[in-house]
Amino acid sequence: MNDNNPLLRLLVEFFDLPADTRPESIRQQLLPSWDSLAMVQLITELEGTFLVNFEIGEIDRLRSYDEIQDALSRKGFSFHVPPISRT
Amino acid sequence: MVDNERGLSSLHLVRQWIRSFPDVQKAAIMEAVESTSLTKARRALRLLEQLAPEQRGPVLDVEILSTYNLEPLLPVLQLAMSCLPSQARPRLAPLDNIEAYIAQRARSGSEALSDARIIIWRIEEVLPEALYPFSHGFPERLAARVDQLLERIERVVGLHRRNAPGIPLFLSTMPLPVNLANPVFAAQHCAGPFAAVSRVNQKIYEIATSSDGVHVLDLASWAAFEGRAYTDATVDFLARQPLSAKGQVGLALFIARCLRSLIIPRRKALALDLDNTLWGGVVGEDGVNGLKLGHEFPGNIHLRIQRELLELRHRGVLLVMLSKNNEVDARQAFESLPDMVLKWDDFAVRKINWSHKHENLREVARELGLGLDSFAFLDDSDYEREQMRQVMPEVLILNESPDPLQTLRALWETDAFDSFFVTTEDRRRHEDYALRDTRNPEAHQGDLEAFLKSLEMEATIEEIGPSNMERVVTMLGKTNQFNLTTRRHSRAQVQTMLASPGSIALALRLRDKFGDQGIIALLLAIPAGDDGTLVVDSFLVSCRALGRGVEDALWAAMSRRVNRQSVRRLEAEYIPTAKNSIVADLYDRLGLQHLEHNSSSTRYLLEPVTIAEFPSWISLKDETNER
Repeated sequence: MNDNNPLLRLLVEFFDLPADTRPESIRQQLLPSWDSLAMVQLITELEGTFLVNFEIGEIDRLRSYDEIQDALSRKGFSFHVPPISRT
Repeated sequence: MVDNERGLSSLHLVRQWIRSFPDVQKAAIMEAVESTSLTKARRALRLLEQLAPEQRGPVLDVEILSTYNLEPLLPVLQLAMSCLPSQARPRLAPLDNIEAYIAQRARSGSEALSDARIIIWRIEEVLPEALYPFSHGFPERLAARVDQLLERIERVVGLHRRNAPGIPLFLSTMPLPVNLANPVFAAQHCAGPFAAVSRVNQKIYEIATSSDGVHVLDLASWAAFEGRAYTDATVDFLARQPLSAKGQVGLALFIARCLRSLIIPRRKALALDLDNTLWGGVVGEDGVNGLKLGHEFPGNIHLRIQRELLELRHRGVLLVMLSKNNEVDARQAFESLPDMVLKWDDFAVRKINWSHKHENLREVARELGLGLDSFAFLDDSDYEREQMRQVMPEVLILNESPDPLQTLRALWETDAFDSFFVTTEDRRRHEDYALRDTRNPEAHQGDLEAFLKSLEMEATIEEIGPSNMERVVTMLGKTNQFNLTTRRHSRAQVQTMLASPGSIALALRLRDKFGDQGIIALLLAIPAGDDGTLVVDSFLVSCRALGRGVEDALWAAMSRRVNRQSVRRLEAEYIPTAKNSIVADLYDRLGLQHLEHNSSSTRYLLEPVTIAEFPSWISLKDETNER
C-alpha cells in the first residue's frame, strides 16, 4: 500500500511500523522510538533519500508525516496518500 | 547513491568482502550501501544476524572515542564492519571524553574485551582557535595552542599504551575544516589555520611511525577524496554530527577497511597476465614492435601498471607470471621494449605455456608453499577471470573488465595488499622465493568441462563470403599462434579459393555469456586433383578464444560438410613457425595420420573422412546451407 508513496514507505520502514500504518498516526508524540537520536538519523535519511537540504527553520517542523510532507512539498515533491480501506 | 570514483571503488571492495555471504544478504548489503540508507542498513544487519557465527567471521570488538557525535551512524558502521566479514561490535565512548574514558576503562579492568580502539577527533573541537586565528593571537598564540594540542596527542597515546597495552590504537588525522571563512588567507602563512592542521597530522604520522601498535586512520586523506559532499552543516549544528548520509557510509567503509588488516591477512602473491596488461597488444600476434608501452597514450597506462606492480614487488608481494604465450616471444618483449619497467627476474615464478591458468596457478602455489587464498589475480580476459573465479574461488580476482585503465584502478584501489607496515623480511621476500627450487608439478584437471559449459558458448558456422571477408583476411594476416600454416592470403586469393568448385570455407562466430566475441576461427579447404581429395589450406583460431574447444567445433562442422560432398580423403599440413608450437600436435589429436614429415612441414591424412564429435559444451548454430 505504500508503494506509491515513498515518504510513507520510508517512515514506516524507518520506525519499523506495520505496513498498513496510516500517515496521520506517524507523529513524534505517538512514537516512543522517535527520540532526539532518531530525529537526527531521520533528517539524514530524508536528505539522503530525496537529495534535499532542510533549512534551519524547517528542522523543528519535521515531527510528523504531515509536517515532513509539507516540507518536501515546498521542495517540489508530492505524495499520494492511500484511501482508508473499509472492510 | 555513492557515485563518485572513490565511492564506486568502495562498492567494488564491499562486493569482494561479502562474496562468501548468501545471495539474500549480499543483495541487502549492496542495496544499503548504494542507497546510503540507514533503514536499509538496519535491514541488512537483521539478515546478517540470521547467519551462523562461522559465516559471519571473527568477533571484532572496537571502542570508538570521538570528539563529535558518531551515535547516529553506529548501525552503518556496524554493517560496514560486518562486511569484512566480522561479528562487528563497535562501541562508542561518551562524547568528547577521551582521556577520562581511557583512564576509567583501565580501572574497570575490562580492556581485554576490545580488539582495537579508535580515536577520532577534528580541528573544530580540539583546536577551534584555528578557525578564528585573528581572534586568538595569530600567529604566536595560535602556534602555542598547536604546541599544546601536540602535547595532548602524545599524552593520550601514552595513557592508552600504559593502560591498554597490546590493544591496537588507531589515531585519526584531522581533515581541513570545511566551513571556514577566508580559506585563501588560511593557506598563506606557516602558522595559519591550514598549516596548523598540517602540523597536527604530521605529529600523528610521527607517533605511528615510532610506536608499535599505533596506526593512522587517515581521515584527512579520506575527506580529501570524498570532497565536500561528505559533510552536512545542518546536522552538525543540530547534533554535532557532521556527516551527510553519503559521508556516513563512506566513513564507515573507510574505518572498516582500516580495521580489516587486523583480522584478514593480506594477499602474498599477485598472478598476472602479460598481453594487454603489462603492455597493450598481443606479443605473439602484433610482434614486439606492435606493442603499446611508453609515455604516449595508451602505452602510458600500461607503463603506470608496471610501476604499480614493481612497487608491490618491492613491498614484498610476489609477482607470478601466468601467460598463454610462447616463452621466446614473452622474453623478447622484456628484452626489447625500451620502456619496460618490470624485468624478467622481478617475477618470482613464471608459467608461460598453453595450459589452463588455474592449473599453472595450482602448481605455483605448491612451488611457493602458499595456499590459494594467498593469491590475487589480474587478467584482461573475461574468460580467464571467469575460469579462475569458478575453479579457484579462493583466488581474489582484482579487475572486472579488460580495460587497462580499469586494471590500473584495481591496483590503486584494492585492499588485497593492505598492511600497516612493511618489514625487512617483506622487502627481501622476492629474493627468498626466487631462490627456491621446490618444484613438484602435479597436474590437476579440475572440472574443466563444467566450467566451459558455464560460459554458455554458442558457435555459429558461417560461409566465408563478402559479409565477413574483411575479418577473414585480417585474421589470416595477423594470427600467429593457433595457425597451422600461417598462409597470409590476400582477399583476391581467398576469393579464388571460394570460386573453386568443392572448396569449403567456414568461419566460426562465438557468442558466450560475456557477449558476442565475433568471428574467432576459420578454415579454408580446397579440392586437389579429381580423386576426391580435399586439402586444408588454412585453419586458425584467434588467440582470444584459445582453450575453449572452438577448433574442435569448427573441425566437426567441416567434417560434416566433407562427408556430404563425397570427399574420400582429407589432407592437412602443419608448417612450424617460431610462434605456432601450440598447434604442433593438433592434427594428431584430431585423429589424422602422418603422411610425410620433413623439417619444414608435417603432412597429414584422414581416410576415410569420419564425422568428428561436436564439443558438448558448445551449442551449434549452422547458418551455412549445408545443415
